[in-house]
Formats: sequence, C-alpha cells, structure tokens
Amino acid sequence: MIWKSALRRLGAALIVMVGISMLIFAIARVMPGDPARIALGPNASAAQVAALRAERHLDAPLPIQYWEFVKALSRGDLGKSLYTNRPVTTDIAQFLPATLELVIVSAIIMVLIGLPIGILSAHFRGRLPDHVGRLIALIGVCTPAFVWGVILQLFFGYFWPVFPIEGRLLESTPVPPDVTGFFLVDTLLAGNVPAFFDALHHLILPAVALAMAGLGQTARLTRSNMIEVYDRPYIEMARAYGFRPLRIATRYAFRPAFIPTLTILGLEFAAMLGNAFLVEKVFGWPGISRYGVDVIIRKDLDAIVGTVLIIAAAFLIMNIVVDILVSIINPRIRLAAGRG
Amino acid sequence: MKLSTKVLASVAMLALPAFLATPSFAERVLRLDESPIGEIDPSKVTDYADTVLAVNIYDTLVYPKAGGPGVEPLLATEWTTDGKTWTFKLKDGVKFHSGNPLTADDVVFSLNRMIAMGQGFSSLFAGRVEKVEAVDPTTVKFTLTEPYAPFLAALVRLPIVDSKTVLANKAEGKYGEFGDYAEAWMSSHDAGSGAYKVESQNPQSETVMVKFPDYFLGFAENAPDKVRYRYGIEAPTIRALMSRGEHDISDLWLPPEVIRALAGEKGIKLVTEAGGATGEYIKLNTARAPLDDVHCRLALTYAFDYETTLKILKVNDKYAQGIPMKGPLPSGLLGYDKDLPDYKQDMDKAKEELAKCKYDPKTSPIDIAWIAEVPARERIALLMQAQFSKLGFPVKVIKTPWALVSEQVTKPDTAPHAVEIAVAAVTPDPDSLLYNMYSSKVPPTWMSAEHLKDAKVDELLEAGRTETDPAKREAIYKELNKTLRDLAPAINAYEFTGVMVVRDPVGVPKLEDKSKQTLDNFNLVFRDISIAE
Repeated sequence: MIWKSALRRLGAALIVMVGISMLIFAIARVMPGDPARIALGPNASAAQVAALRAERHLDAPLPIQYWEFVKALSRGDLGKSLYTNRPVTTDIAQFLPATLELVIVSAIIMVLIGLPIGILSAHFRGRLPDHVGRLIALIGVCTPAFVWGVILQLFFGYFWPVFPIEGRLLESTPVPPDVTGFFLVDTLLAGNVPAFFDALHHLILPAVALAMAGLGQTARLTRSNMIEVYDRPYIEMARAYGFRPLRIATRYAFRPAFIPTLTILGLEFAAMLGNAFLVEKVFGWPGISRYGVDVIIRKDLDAIVGTVLIIAAAFLIMNIVVDILVSIINPRIRLAAGRG
Repeated sequence: MKLSTKVLASVAMLALPAFLATPSFAERVLRLDESPIGEIDPSKVTDYADTVLAVNIYDTLVYPKAGGPGVEPLLATEWTTDGKTWTFKLKDGVKFHSGNPLTADDVVFSLNRMIAMGQGFSSLFAGRVEKVEAVDPTTVKFTLTEPYAPFLAALVRLPIVDSKTVLANKAEGKYGEFGDYAEAWMSSHDAGSGAYKVESQNPQSETVMVKFPDYFLGFAENAPDKVRYRYGIEAPTIRALMSRGEHDISDLWLPPEVIRALAGEKGIKLVTEAGGATGEYIKLNTARAPLDDVHCRLALTYAFDYETTLKILKVNDKYAQGIPMKGPLPSGLLGYDKDLPDYKQDMDKAKEELAKCKYDPKTSPIDIAWIAEVPARERIALLMQAQFSKLGFPVKVIKTPWALVSEQVTKPDTAPHAVEIAVAAVTPDPDSLLYNMYSSKVPPTWMSAEHLKDAKVDELLEAGRTETDPAKREAIYKELNKTLRDLAPAINAYEFTGVMVVRDPVGVPKLEDKSKQTLDNFNLVFRDISIAE
C-alpha cells in the first residue's frame, strides 16, 4: 500500500519536473546578458558571438528552443556548458557526488547532535541543559552557514590549525579511483585507510558549518514536539505506572514527536544541496552547488537548467522518501494512504 | 577526565588523520590560484587563468618581450616579412609531450584548428590570414589578406598543438575530416610542448601539472616538479592557507586589506605584476548629451580625483594596485609617452572647460554605472559623484551587474554616461587595445563603450596597422595617444598593477625583477620559478 502511494507521488513528481523545467528554461533566458558573449569572453568578435548564438539556437523562439532541449533530454543529453565547455551531464557527474557526500555527512551531524539536544532540552525543560540547548539551537539557526565556515576556519584552521580548510584531500594523498565519487567510500573500496581518514578530516569543518542551521532547527522542533507529547495523558499514565524517564522519553514520547522533525529533516537535506554554495566557496569544495551559482552568474543556460533540475529532483525524491518513512513510523498515515 | 580534557582529546583524535597522511617532501610543489575556470584547450583561451595555463603547457612562435614592448623569439629563431607575408624559421629538435617532433605542419594545423573552432583569440587571425603553409619541416609561411603589422605580436596567442595527438583523439564532430578537432578530449588532456604537462584537470577546482623533463629551454634550479593551479578560492581561505604555508602565490584580486594583513606576517612577501598592458578607463558615452561635447568631457577629466583614487588602491608604501596614466596607452605598449604629464585634478580648469560646453550642467543629468561584481569600484563611482556634482551636474550612481552592463554599453542610447571598465592589451601591440576601443569600423562592444567616431583617430589606427617600420609605428601611436588625450573619450583613471602575495621561499623572477617583466598575464612562467625548500 505504501508503495502504491509512493508510485502515485512519483507520477505527480514527474509532472512537477516538467513544470519546473519549463519555468527555469524561461527564467534563465530572460535574465540580462548574452550567454554567447559571456561564454566567449571579452575579446571575442561579433562574428564569433553570432556563430555561437546560431549553433546553440539562441536566436530561435523560446518554444523551439524548449523543443530542442526536450529532444536532447530524451537522449539523456542536458546540453553543453558554456562555462566549462563540457557536457552538462559530465559536470553534474563530477560535481554532484562531492556535494552529496558533504550534505549526507552534514545531515548525520544534524541528526546525531540536533536530536539529542532537542530531547535533552525537553526532558530538562526550564533547567540548565534546556537553556544551553536552546542557546546552541538559536545560534545555529541565526548564523548563516558561510559565517560558520569562516569562524571554524579562523579557530581550527588559523589560530589552532588542526583541520584542513580547503579541498577534499591533502596534496600528498592520491585521489581514489572514481567508483561512486564519494571519497569516503572510494578510499575504502581502494583499501586506502589513511586516505579515508584524510577525506573524513577534510569533511568535518565544511560539514559542521553546513549542518549548524539544520541542527538548530532540528533541536528546536524536537524540543517543542517532545514537550507537547509530554503533556499528553498517556505519558502521564506511563509516569503513574512508574516507567523510567529514559524509557518514556525514547519509547513513548520521541516516536510521535519525531514525525514533524523528520519532515523538516527531509526538506533540510534537499535544501542543503542548493544552499551549500557558500560553504563550498569558503572551503574550496568542488560541488554542484558552487557550480550552480557559477553557471547562473555566467548565464550558462544549459547548465542552469541541468543543475536546477537535479536539485528539484532531490527535493521531490526526499519528499517521497520522507512520506514513506512517516508512513512506516505512523500507522495511521499508512492506513490512510492505503484507503486513499 | 575533566570535560575540557575530553574536548581537547576529541579534537586531537579528529586531527589525527592529518598526521596519518603526512605530505611527502620528495617533490617541489607550487600552489597558486586564480578565478575559475581553468580552460586548458589553447583554442579557447580567454582570460588570465587560461593564459597562464597556455603559457606553461604550450609554446608559441614568439613571446612577449621582457622589459619593453614587442616580442622575442620562442619556437621561431628568425622571421622575415614584407608586411603581407610572414615567414618563420622554427627551432629544430623541439618535442611535444607525446615525443612527436614539433614541425611547421603543427603550426599550420594549430592555426587552422583555432580559426575553425572560432573561439578564444581566433578573431586575431580569422579573415586576416589568407593562407598558411609549411614550406619545409622547419619553415612556415603566413600570407595575409593585406599588410598587417600587429600580426607578429598576435602570434603570442597562437599556442602550437601536436597535430598527431589531436587527430588521434578526435571524435565525431562538425569539422569534416577533423571530426570535433578533439575538442572533447582537449578539455581534459593536453597536446603541448610546454615545460609542464597536464596530470589532471577539473576546470572548476584545480589543474595539476607536472614537469616535462625534455623541455627544450630547461628549468631554473629548484623549479617546481608539480604545479597545482587552483580555482575560485575565497580571499579569507587564501589568507589562512598562506599563513599555514599551504599556498605559495595568491591571485591578483585579493582585497588590499587582505594583502596588507598577509604582508605583515613572517615568511610572506609581496610582488607586483606591472606589465603595463591594462588601463582602468572611466568610459564616457560620447554619443549622449552632455558628453557628446568634448568640453563637457574634458571638464569631467579635470574634475576626476586621481590622487584619492590612487590612495584607495594603495596597499602599503611600496605597493599599490594602480599607477597614474599619461593617456589611454598603458606604460608597457609601443607609443607610450613618458614625457606627457600625469593626469591631475584641477577644478579651475574643469570649470573653464565647462564654460565652453554647450550644455548647462544643471539640466544635464549624468548617470554613472559601477559593476556590481567589483565592489571596490563603488568607491570610485561615489568619488566621481561627489566631484561631478561640484560642477553642477545632477549625478546618479547605479550598481549594475556585468552581464547587463556589457549589453547596455553596446548601444549609445543605453550606455551609461560613465562606467569604469578595465581593458587590457591581449598582445604586446597597442593595436590590440586601441583598435577595439576606438575604431569606428568595429561593431560596438563593451570595450568601445565610448562610441567615439573620429576621422583622425580612425586614420591613425589604420596607419598603425599597415606601417611595419617600428620607429614610424611608435610615432603613429604617440600621436594617437596624444589625440585621444585631447578628445577625452574616457577618463584614463589609472594603470592596473597587480599585487600578489608570495611565500618567501618561492622566487618569481619575472615579478621580482622589473627588467625581466613582460606583458600582463605572461609572467607566471613556472619553469622560471624556484622553491627554496
């Protein structure tokens, strides 16, 4: 039943993707600036610019340009980047794994630190751990990720240089053979344990910087939801039966309180793919988010559409995954999905 | 264990991998950075990073001359010309990275490839070269459509590719028997003969190059074995990396405050690239009232605060990101006249000129655009607003992204009255700077935001193209420089001088010794650089 519902959502997601592709296709083309001129550089002649415009159908009416795009897309071709002079699919294949790896580690940090802070805050409501937890959450939410990046670089890269502050590996570490594009995985597949630790070492500061806002959000949501659940009669009853506080928190209060947090976590994860660009800039991380911003600045039409579609797809997939997870956690939703 | 001890222990454990993967000191690695992207296909070179890559991975027939205008031999040993045909004798024994010998056929192939692909600097040759032929393996002859003196200098933009390697890696494409001219393959591999060859390429983050031991000109003692050319690293990160000794040479675009901070640290020095090829021009729209009147333009030229502008660019007592100009020609180009006076602010003269202008400043609003991507230019725009307002002009300052400015300035009706744009000579010849800016034959581009139409300027520009005698050419460009100074189509604000931050153990002769310095963009020659540690 869950899978039927997921398939229905997948169908809807495809329709949304078509809509997004049309929208971003049009928006990218009404942005100021001539993409051919920007791509060919300042010293290109008018004839060179005109030739590139003709080659890329940039002078054709918008519907025809879109039709050409759809035809190419049906062959798995997202066009060619005017910025890197390579197929957009090649660029995405190279840059996406770096961002995904960063975002996954950030999400793990968000969950491993944000959830316990939220649970502890709720449990010790109004007491010192709650105040400390709320303060951490508030600072996390209020401070932009790139500021965290600069602060972390300053403390752990400059004053106390114990972490690398740029790139994915040390100069002396050989890049692992490209299997997944995730250095943490590829280094292990290559059996290179020091390289694995090096990759992890390089990930920590950017991942923490990127996770801070989501971590704060997760902690705050978990705390408020837990407090709401703690006030429910069945928790009162559990307390009256003499269940231990830890059991009440983890077994009876956390599960219902986690559902809204899970929804937000899913959206945060997808949002980080797009929002990681400043962290990627600060840490010289060669990811898709930084690439996306660079191609927007250069009005690199095919690359803009390709990058936005990838990030939109991530949002839609995460929504479906979250829905499935929520259905698994909450039987009422599972049953409703089955009936609907 | 106390909490603080636990925290310290945790951080130490996390830092452990740094020690597990201790870098090897067996090879000398040079690390430097630039703005993205790094394009390694020599037919697609457009900007600073691309030029540095081309200079080190490929060779050209001639190279910009050190210590003055013009060129010096590189792959060519000698050449002859009658203005229309140019014949070059090539060095014997030069090899490509593949081991193939470099011959005249490769020169022919390289030019044809560049023109066919129509990118990068192909406009320097397209429509100008009627025929190129290999007379014998070491002689190549170019026949031009008409006499064209700047052709010799243009050859610094023709990197020679290994035709056999390129053809061996071609894919299907639109160039007939040449397929795609190996366009796809050349975006991640090289086919050069230069001192360094490409080991890996990521256009967004880094190009790694290694020494080509058979390079025909050899290497400086302690030259880098490996070069990591990184792209798009933010200024705060560069600052931290240099302090940690993990970066050797910064790019040219660090903000003065970051350069100052780094200059104060131990083991760091500053160097300057002052090849005299780049002018920072406040381009005045000569086709729009009130600046279609030369007197109004001269009034603005006198009102501009040159001294304060140079103070803004100052890094410390020794280094600045700009020096005064004496006309539109920067100091490294033929025709630069050191006897002309520096520009100075003179409000009395500005008012005198304004009195001769047919427009009333009070009813003649002026709009000044500044390019949003270069925040430092806002200060100069605001400075202009303050000074021009003193003359009575209502002045509006508008922040505009480059993509929009570059489009606006191509039409006289939409080009702002004033906008600061840097223009650099792309070859060591003044024609490559002034022709695109001021010839009425060239369709308007961002370089010609002034929209100047002047018969005398056109005549001098054409004379500079056809005259092959260097002395006579110098006289032509001196006269042109003076004429443009009098016509004031732009405020020649300052000549750009790049300041780079370098770690002490790294020696960059071309940037540390003025007599060895050549045209901007051509000074980062890795084989000349030494790393003492």
